[in-house]
Amino acid sequence: MATTACFIIVSRNDIPIYEAEVGSATKREDAAQMHQFILHAALDIVQDLAWTTSAMYLKAIDRFNDLVVSVYVTAGHILCVSDFNCVSDKKNTEKMENDIYVIFFAFSVGEVHELYIKILLNPLYLPGSRIASSHFDTKVRALARKYL
Amino acid sequence: MDPAKTSLGKMLLEEITPVVMVLRTPLVEESCLKNSLSFIEMLSPFCDFNNIDVPVRTSSDQPYRLQKFKLRLFYESDIKQPDIVVAKERLKQVITEAGEKDRSDLSTDPLDISNILASSKSEISPSWFEIFNKELVRTVSFSEHEAFDHPVACVSVVSSKDEQPINKFVDLFNTNKLPSLLNDGAMDPKILKHYVLVHDNKDGSSEKATKILTEMKNTFGFNGCHLLCINSSQDEQIEHQDNPWAPYKFDSSPSQDLGHYLNIDDFNEIKDLIQELSSKHIIPYMEQRVRVLNQQISATRKGFRNQIKNLWWRKGKEDTPDSSNGPMYTYSSVESQIRVLGDYAFMLGDYELALSNYRLISTDYKIDKAWKRYAGVQKLGSSGRQYATRCGLWWIEMLKMKDQFKEAATVYFRICSEELLHSAVMLEQASYCYLLSQPPMLHKYGFHLVLSGDRYKKCDQIKHAIRTYRNAVSVYKGTPWSYIKDHVHFHIGQCYGFLGMYDVAFTHMLEVLACSHQSKATQELFLREFLQIVQKAGKTFEVLTLQLPVINTSSLKVDFEDHRTYALPGSTSVKESVWRSLEEDMIPSLPTARTNWLELQSKLLPKHKESNICVAGEAIKIAIEFKNPLEIPISISSVSLICELSATSDETNSDASCSTAGIWNNEEHENLSVIVTTANLILLANCREIISDTSSFSLSEVNISLGGGEANLVQLTVTPKVEGILKIVGVRWKLSGSVVGFYSFGSNYVKKKIAKGRRKAKQSPSNYLEFIVIQSLPKLEGFIHALPEKAYAGHLQHLVLELRNRSEVSVKNLKMKTSHPRFLNIGKQEDLDLEFPACLEKKTNVSPPANPKIASHGVFLFPEDLSVQGENPLLWPLWFRAAVPGNISLQVVIYYEMGDLSSAMRYRILRMHYNLQVLPSLDVSFKISPYPSRLQEFLVHMDVVNKTNSESIQVNQLSTIGSHWEISLLQPIDTIFPSQSLIAGRAFSCFFVLKVGTRICIFRVVGNQLSTEESTSSLFPHIGSNVSLVPDGSKGAPFDTSKSPLAGFHDYERLQHGILIRLEAENAVDFILISRPLKSNAQPGVADAHHVFSHHACHCRQEYTKLLIIISIYSTASTSPITWVVDGPRTRHHDFSSSFCEINFRMTIYNSSNALASIVLKTLDSTSISDQLSDEASGNQVGWHDVSLAKDSKIESEALRNHVRKSLLPESVSPFIWSGSSSTGVQIKPLSTTEIPLQICVFSPGTYDLSNYVLNWNLQPVKDHENVGERTQSSGTSLGYPYYLTVLPSD
Repeated sequence: MATTACFIIVSRNDIPIYEAEVGSATKREDAAQMHQFILHAALDIVQDLAWTTSAMYLKAIDRFNDLVVSVYVTAGHILCVSDFNCVSDKKNTEKMENDIYVIFFAFSVGEVHELYIKILLNPLYLPGSRIASSHFDTKVRALARKYL
Repeated sequence: MDPAKTSLGKMLLEEITPVVMVLRTPLVEESCLKNSLSFIEMLSPFCDFNNIDVPVRTSSDQPYRLQKFKLRLFYESDIKQPDIVVAKERLKQVITEAGEKDRSDLSTDPLDISNILASSKSEISPSWFEIFNKELVRTVSFSEHEAFDHPVACVSVVSSKDEQPINKFVDLFNTNKLPSLLNDGAMDPKILKHYVLVHDNKDGSSEKATKILTEMKNTFGFNGCHLLCINSSQDEQIEHQDNPWAPYKFDSSPSQDLGHYLNIDDFNEIKDLIQELSSKHIIPYMEQRVRVLNQQISATRKGFRNQIKNLWWRKGKEDTPDSSNGPMYTYSSVESQIRVLGDYAFMLGDYELALSNYRLISTDYKIDKAWKRYAGVQKLGSSGRQYATRCGLWWIEMLKMKDQFKEAATVYFRICSEELLHSAVMLEQASYCYLLSQPPMLHKYGFHLVLSGDRYKKCDQIKHAIRTYRNAVSVYKGTPWSYIKDHVHFHIGQCYGFLGMYDVAFTHMLEVLACSHQSKATQELFLREFLQIVQKAGKTFEVLTLQLPVINTSSLKVDFEDHRTYALPGSTSVKESVWRSLEEDMIPSLPTARTNWLELQSKLLPKHKESNICVAGEAIKIAIEFKNPLEIPISISSVSLICELSATSDETNSDASCSTAGIWNNEEHENLSVIVTTANLILLANCREIISDTSSFSLSEVNISLGGGEANLVQLTVTPKVEGILKIVGVRWKLSGSVVGFYSFGSNYVKKKIAKGRRKAKQSPSNYLEFIVIQSLPKLEGFIHALPEKAYAGHLQHLVLELRNRSEVSVKNLKMKTSHPRFLNIGKQEDLDLEFPACLEKKTNVSPPANPKIASHGVFLFPEDLSVQGENPLLWPLWFRAAVPGNISLQVVIYYEMGDLSSAMRYRILRMHYNLQVLPSLDVSFKISPYPSRLQEFLVHMDVVNKTNSESIQVNQLSTIGSHWEISLLQPIDTIFPSQSLIAGRAFSCFFVLKVGTRICIFRVVGNQLSTEESTSSLFPHIGSNVSLVPDGSKGAPFDTSKSPLAGFHDYERLQHGILIRLEAENAVDFILISRPLKSNAQPGVADAHHVFSHHACHCRQEYTKLLIIISIYSTASTSPITWVVDGPRTRHHDFSSSFCEINFRMTIYNSSNALASIVLKTLDSTSISDQLSDEASGNQVGWHDVSLAKDSKIESEALRNHVRKSLLPESVSPFIWSGSSSTGVQIKPLSTTEIPLQICVFSPGTYDLSNYVLNWNLQPVKDHENVGERTQSSGTSLGYPYYLTVLPSD
């Protein structure tokens, strides 16, 4: 399964409002910046794609080495961007990637989106501002542990 | 489309041209070197034909004319694949050179991204990429599988000086010198050969040469031989105006020397030679080859295609694990022939044929893709990647041509090799492709720039790294993606640091300082690098936007003293409204003051009514919070304020000019704010000037060190020395001793709250930090000595207030007020030297207590002749008593007026603020019930609980306040309370008898005048009002509760309870319990009280001074003003055989109220009493009544009722009856008694309880007495007391 993954919610104007690094692998020192770079770079493609399709879930829109970027675009054009590394075992790659997409789909669509909506319902939360709720954070990480 | 006009076409035309191999003897080279040129270099300028105009026929016999043609000449030794290492070096060199040239604009600010987008394509990507790409392609030339680089012809050159030139020609073809391509058989060895004889005209006439030429023609055939004469210019050196060799000479020797022996004849001769070679030999030869090959392939074409394909793939696959040489296709193989055919056709411009042939090899791919696929199949270790690179580059050019930049970028990315430098260049090119794509993909652009820059940096190509990172900075400017921002700025900062451009490095490093999201190690790294750069720069930087530490602007707090001065720093934390409510009685009100001081002040300060006022020589304190966002400690030094003090404009200005001055000030403010918001260097310059100008004010400097994540409130002061207008601009500090940071308060001050804005919000925000400095004034400093911070409730202490005035000008008219008079009482001046607590003891000579001068509203006026000045402090006694447990904020305000009337302020106020924590000590409750069978006497049940944590408390004395009470113990103290001290958590209770003092009764009887009684009562010492609770406490004099501190506190307690002192004469009784905490380790009760006394008095005064005074106020509990007592026999002997027994009683009723009371006595014989009672009780509660008292009475009545029931219920008929009328009514005057006779009849012996009667009383207020307390009930019912009578048979 994916050993390292990064999950970022990006509001409009490319401002990250939530970041979580999840995954079982031991963290590398520069992992955080690498993930940020990759996901940031993928926004170009998301911006192209998001307006051409009605699908909310866009899988494997970009990749960098073994990291594959998938995105879930909400109706308000908030992006849940995530990258996973796919273990480069040639035989299984295809299948595994597919598995991971399915997981990500469940992860972001089913539950993180729901959590995000709950955050939005909070009258004290200003849409587009950083999500500082520790509850949200623990929930997302728990979900990540469940799926990844 | 003309292929020559696109970069792809140009590149292909340049790169895919026939190669001519040149074999020459050393002497040829020697002759050429006279012109500083090699042979090939000499020929090169003439190898490029734009208009050669040679007729060619395609394979399908269509004639066309070839216009553009180019030959590439190579020595035989160069016709081999370049060594990889050498190639790398060469590439590196190219990159480094490009970097050197690029130096010019390194230090400029990165362009804005919109500008970059607006600039044209050619400006975006650096021009040296083309050179690099060419070099990169060159590294893979002369591969065996491509026919482009296979020599089409071979030119052998021999000098006329050579001996036996014919043999030389033969020798040159000696195979061991020929390139491996020919020897390996990858190429057809039967290539076109051409023979050239070079004659140097300097060596003599050309006759010998012509002779050799003839010989050659005989030997090698007529067509293939040429004579080339060079160096024809004999003496003079020829300057070539437009030197044709210059572009072909790679190593830069002075270009005018090139070809200086070659005159125009040589020139033409060379030109002709090449022209002839191309048009007459090479092109026809190639054309012929194409035809031949085409025929061969055509012959086998049918059904051949799939076969070839299969063969191709199969071979590729099975050969992969083979030796490193891989499959070898000899020239004769079909595949090779196809390839050669295709390439030749391509070179001859017969693109259709070429394409069909390439399609044959791989139909599904376009031309470039085919190459790439081919290269992929031919994967031979690392070289395979290089082919891929070249193919990729061509492919990219093609994509670029089609404006498919995005795809081009992906190709660039894919041809990145492991080799860092190479991939750096590729990534950089990829990034430009992303930029050029439509719409521009800026995110990708930035990302690839960073990737590339990172690689450049790793290869020490610092300048390239800076270029790429700088472009990246323009993409990521102001990005909220924190890690990205940090990475970019950190690396570009480091790069600039490497180059020694510390200023630029510094500005970039500044950006990464506030990296609280990073890990601790990274933070350390960032800070270390930052400091290194600062250190290397060797100067002190001044930065307006230093992000370390973070300044919490909302924490900004300004403390200054105008007419309000503060004794302690904490005083400012009290709300202004609290102070003002305290002060309102002391400050002279406006109407009275208008005549003098306000006018004076308004004259002095006409135009700055809104500004704050401060006094010269007195410090303004600013508290501001510095927060370290990092996890690592940082040190900050020289924190100080930035201030500006301008002298006041002329004070005697007329109103008009004043107003303009005001406007001017406003404008100045606006200017300032503009400057600040743009945050440019002007302010910085200003700041420096201001700092240097320290003569008019002095600043404090603070050094702090902040641990990880720590926040520190820094106190800064500025003390103006001269009059004028002081503006606090901002704060400056030094980070790690080398970087000076500035922070301007004005920039976003609007949001800030001011700690003590006394003028309500109409003031413009910046005015909060602007002060008018007025001339120095006397200022009182006050201090209360030894005020405890923590005390037990009831703690009584003697304190001294010290007031000091450092200035020479005296102050006068001192007034003082405390916020909690219950806690702090102002003493008399003579109390100052009293010995405490001995002063509390009763003295034999009692002087009447003279009240201290308390003006209205509790303001204490100091004696008018008192003035404080100079070194002599004013000492004044205070009494402190912790009244109630809890946290108390105690304020003391002292008002004083200037002795000098001419000063700008007439009065000032000293504010003192103390926080006290009062702990609970003794919890005392009293329960007072009428003493049965005694008139005017009460039983007092006192419960004392020690609520302290650990203190043992000795209870000393209980006193009653109020002139007419006497109190005494019911039992000796030894029996009820043997240990004498109360340990923490313990409780004890004891009973007292409280009765109305006889003296007063007598007085009443005699005088019968209320007013005289009250006024005179205090003159009498009341011996009976104190009870000592220590066994031998009589030895020490009891404490006098009627004297100043205790009596004063008592009054305030009463005020607190809302009881008017006048009501003293009524039923209320006040108790004062005096106790003393013991030393916790002392043996309780062992030392006798006297010893403790003396001991403390002598040695341990501190201990001794602890005295707990509990003042409790209780009413005498009986709700009714009516008391009565039943008087009669207790036992009786009677002979029941003769008759029933009649017994007489007397009931004495006393009316303690001030009203006339009408009383109805009802005797009851049945149990119906309870019902009746409850009815009455409930009826009584209707309407307005005092809840607490009603409750008491109810409980009481409840108890009694139960009692009645118990005694009565077992028997249905009462064993005795009341005789006489069942209801008797009497009227009692105020404070008088009356008697009612009672009689019962008893029918049988036994013990009887005669409590079954009820007194209904009703008060009628006396007319002349204006006060009927709401607290007393006007009517009520009282149940009878138990009265036990025993009747015995008389036998």
